[in-house]
Amino acid sequence: MTSMTSSGTAKPEPASVHDLDRALLRVENLSVVLGGAMVLDSVSLSLERGVVLGVVGANGSGKTTLLRAIAGLLDAGGTATFGSGRSVDAASGGSELRVLSHGERARMLAYMPQQAESHPFTVFEAVLMGRYPHLGRFALEGTRDRALAWEAMERTAITEFADRKLNTLSGGERQRVVLARVLVQQADLLLMDEPTASLDLRHQILTMDLVREEARKRNAGVIVVMHDLSLAARSCDRLVLLDGGRKVADGSPWEVLTPENLRTAFGVEGLVEPDPVTGRPHVLLLGSANSGRGEMVGTGRTVHLICGAGSGRELMHQARVAGYTVTAGVLGTGDSDREAAERLGLRYVSAPPFSAITDEQHSQHLALIGAADHVVLCPMAVGMNNVRNVEAALAAESLLVIEPGGTNTPEGGATVADFTGGRAIKLRRELVERAGQVPESAVLFELARLGG
Amino acid sequence: MAPVFGDSATGVPSGLAGPPSGSVLKRLGGGALLLGTATIVMFVVASAVGPFNIPISHTASTLLDLIGIGESTAEPTEQAIIQSIRLPRVFMAFLVGAALGISGGIMQGLFRNSMADPGIIGVSSGGATGAVIAIASGASAVSTLFLPLFAFVGSGIAMAVVFLIASVGGRFSMATLLLGGIAVGSFLGAITTAIIVLTDDLYVQRQIIFWIAGGVDTARWESVRIAAPIIVAGGLISVFVARDLNLLLVSEDEARSLGVRVTLVRNTLLVSASLITGAAVAFSGIIAFVGLIVPHVVRLVVGADHRVLLPLSALAGGLFLLIADTAARIVLSPAELRVGILTALIGAPFFIYLLVRNRSRASML
Repeated sequence: MTSMTSSGTAKPEPASVHDLDRALLRVENLSVVLGGAMVLDSVSLSLERGVVLGVVGANGSGKTTLLRAIAGLLDAGGTATFGSGRSVDAASGGSELRVLSHGERARMLAYMPQQAESHPFTVFEAVLMGRYPHLGRFALEGTRDRALAWEAMERTAITEFADRKLNTLSGGERQRVVLARVLVQQADLLLMDEPTASLDLRHQILTMDLVREEARKRNAGVIVVMHDLSLAARSCDRLVLLDGGRKVADGSPWEVLTPENLRTAFGVEGLVEPDPVTGRPHVLLLGSANSGRGEMVGTGRTVHLICGAGSGRELMHQARVAGYTVTAGVLGTGDSDREAAERLGLRYVSAPPFSAITDEQHSQHLALIGAADHVVLCPMAVGMNNVRNVEAALAAESLLVIEPGGTNTPEGGATVADFTGGRAIKLRRELVERAGQVPESAVLFELARLGG
Repeated sequence: MAPVFGDSATGVPSGLAGPPSGSVLKRLGGGALLLGTATIVMFVVASAVGPFNIPISHTASTLLDLIGIGESTAEPTEQAIIQSIRLPRVFMAFLVGAALGISGGIMQGLFRNSMADPGIIGVSSGGATGAVIAIASGASAVSTLFLPLFAFVGSGIAMAVVFLIASVGGRFSMATLLLGGIAVGSFLGAITTAIIVLTDDLYVQRQIIFWIAGGVDTARWESVRIAAPIIVAGGLISVFVARDLNLLLVSEDEARSLGVRVTLVRNTLLVSASLITGAAVAFSGIIAFVGLIVPHVVRLVVGADHRVLLPLSALAGGLFLLIADTAARIVLSPAELRVGILTALIGAPFFIYLLVRNRSRASML
């Protein structure tokens, strides 16, 4: 072996690159077929420098495959363009990163696999391996490489294990070793597959803070696969939701983490509310739509929802998961709440579209209200056709009035839309005086409290 | 670097103040110095002892004379014995030991298993079958080079077959390579045994068993000149890709994403380890346990970095076989024990000792 030592290759300063073209990675129609199955189906996304992009989705939704395809570890159709560089079409059967030389690719992207590795190298040796792409064929790691490795180990708090062999460490400690190696690689694009999977709570937060710092300070782009949705919402600038190999949502955590998306992509009922500290979405899991109906809070109790135009849809699902028998009224044909009630097989009073509630419907409605243990008035818009729904709420013995305002935004709206010339507002104010108001995310808690 | 894990939040002081010392060069240099010195001493000792003992001073001066320093003080007979009998044998013992040590280290790294030995993919069995065919067919009697040639060709064919088995369907698999090697090895072992059993000629049978037992006593300069380039070239190539082997041992995906040409590196290492082993087997027969134990022990001492492990395994293997071969000459003097028997006799108990002592980490690398 030759003894030439390398002082390591300096990376371009962030300032010189980020102004020209902030897009770091553009993925178009990336598809992967594994064992005859379409594991990834025409996924397109783009990533800018300095952004942490979270990839969320259920098991088998294609998260790891997406990461591996971008890393060039799989045969993929479609294109992945790096920076403003060359692009390669799908016909060549590979993503752009695959045609880059091995060395170029390794300097551009760092990949952190899901499985924590186990081998007989020491922690320091394992971290130092991240310098590989920066070393010439016969070069040995120099002082600078060793200093960089040490710094990364300090950042991930593994210096005390420096001389321990990796196969003597715990899973979480090993994961931090791999994290240090990823940092030491100083790549522009970090691809991380569940970097927090085996970490304790404190190290989960610290790891994600480190990842964010890499994005901010070095202007790197990060794509991180995560299972903990609240942690993802807390740490990522943007989220991409995969379901069955397809991208079904892409946007801010508030846009992606909706109860609707939780239901369709994960098959769970959940509440999404602002985290009291960060203001970012916090996901509270209620259960799965088909989880065992043992002794739930709502077992044996009936909740009646006065709703319309989608204002009660989420609550119908959530209350059912909590074990309540749910009824609703009065819902016009074509109303999205009516469709939801129909789909869930609820008892409800229906009315023809765009017509005022008749006496008969009203009395049916009052019967459902009378039979319910609790009544919830949703913040639907009120017009002349459905104003009797609000009147019916006066008959309720145990009433909850939901605060107006979107479910998924931290800032609450002002009032409900009123097309009755003030009558609905007045009625509502009367009801609020009697029963008080609760935010939608608190309804289930209130119901549980009322139920004793 | 703001968020630091081991910060004041826990107050845990880190164990070390800076990067650990002991770079690759230091460890390699230290090990090489130690093993190199011992090897030079053993070269002198091994050239001196045997059925005809030559005084150490005579041996040393003769060896120095050969490399152009001073004048030999030995008798002409002693000089002749050293030059044409002892020295080629000493060189061959060192070469074969080095070959087995380094290729064992490569195979253990590639298979991520410290139970792997140089013959794991059927190379040794192929060599034995080739050699047995050469002896049984009488080819070995025609020219002394036919035996190693047949053995080397046998190794090559076995390796190629196992490679083909592992590559069936276009996807190369290390697991299939391992199992294919075991299967092909058993198959070839059966052929070898069948030839021994079916041979009427007792002398031929004896020759075969003698060869299989393994030894370097028949080495001549001619065989050293053939074996050395193969073993040295294969060894150098392996050391050049030792860093890639490190990453391969960590994980194939990570190696690939760090820029390692995984397939190229793996094939290069498999082929060079097999060629090295094939050359060693061709000129020495089956010498057990060296390729298994030497890298294992070296790893315990210097760690798993193959840039250090492979060169030092070669030196340690060479030194070990040199000592074993010298001992084989002495223990039953004036008769000789086959060195392959001796290495297994020493190696197996020592290996058991290691297994018991390091029970927790003995199973896998």
